[in-house]
Amino acid sequence: MRIKSQKAAVAEIDMTPMIDIVFQLIAFFMVITNFEQIQADERVKLPSDSLAKPPETKAADELVLNIGFERNQEGEITDPQAYVFYTGEKIPVLKFGPKLEQEARIYKQKNQDPNDVPVKLRSDAQVDTGLIQDLIKLAQENGFTKFSFVATQKTQ
Amino acid sequence: MKLRSSGREAEKIEPQMAPMIDVVFQLLIFFMLTLNIVEPEGDFNVNMPITDDSTPSDELPMFDIKVRLVANEDGSLNTIRLGQVNLGNGPNVFAGLNNEILKIIGRPGNPITKDMEVEIEADYNLHFEYTLKAVSACTGRLDSSGKHIIRYIEKIKFAPPVGGPAAGS
Repeated sequence: MRIKSQKAAVAEIDMTPMIDIVFQLIAFFMVITNFEQIQADERVKLPSDSLAKPPETKAADELVLNIGFERNQEGEITDPQAYVFYTGEKIPVLKFGPKLEQEARIYKQKNQDPNDVPVKLRSDAQVDTGLIQDLIKLAQENGFTKFSFVATQKTQ
Repeated sequence: MKLRSSGREAEKIEPQMAPMIDVVFQLLIFFMLTLNIVEPEGDFNVNMPITDDSTPSDELPMFDIKVRLVANEDGSLNTIRLGQVNLGNGPNVFAGLNNEILKIIGRPGNPITKDMEVEIEADYNLHFEYTLKAVSACTGRLDSSGKHIIRYIEKIKFAPPVGGPAAGS
């Protein structure tokens, strides 16, 4: 019997879906790593300053407070009351004392002195300075003593 | 004219995908490293002494510099006073404050700056951005390369705000 010679079929892998998935994964990790670095709240429009440099050493534990306004899609302030945006809630700044007390209690339960925990204030540029100082006073009453203001780095 | 068919089957041209993918990955990694989706943020450390209302501290230590920020009703900056000197509120007022601080300390890194402290006293309703700019102007300036900070005064503290409701009310 004569056997016909057949050309070996070359199996070609379709690369397109693989590339798509790789792109999706890269985009996903790009986004989450950037947002993970700072506990940002998009409602807070930070002031900018050329001297605002990212710290060389990051504190192991820090309390980040986002202070800002409710804004509409155009970024306009819809409510003149300033709030602290805290774990999905919005609490008027002057009524944030109990939450600070709760935070201090949590740190103490973890055998950490609130005195050693820096409080990073991510405040909107248009919030009253007096309100920020009142918030600092409330934090001091609960044992926090280290404070820093956060600003975006202005590129020149 | 009659064209003679060559008798050969038309060759299928297949583009090489591997180099294209390599280049795309290189570009992607380059843009990942250069692009910042979220703007970088920096900190200004501030010193907030716990104020005791029963003992008003109107006496300032000898090396302290007092910066007073006066606000308009809408929260914008009205004027800046450095001690008794009125610096106004022009577009370059913070650069002016920065220069005045430099005149006071003499030169950056002067040992006396270790004992110096700037006390910022702002109106309650002043927008936070002006306070932050004042903190920045007192802290120092960028060098000519724009990468390193030349420190003037490290210690910045805040006096209780002028006017406004009391906390907790």
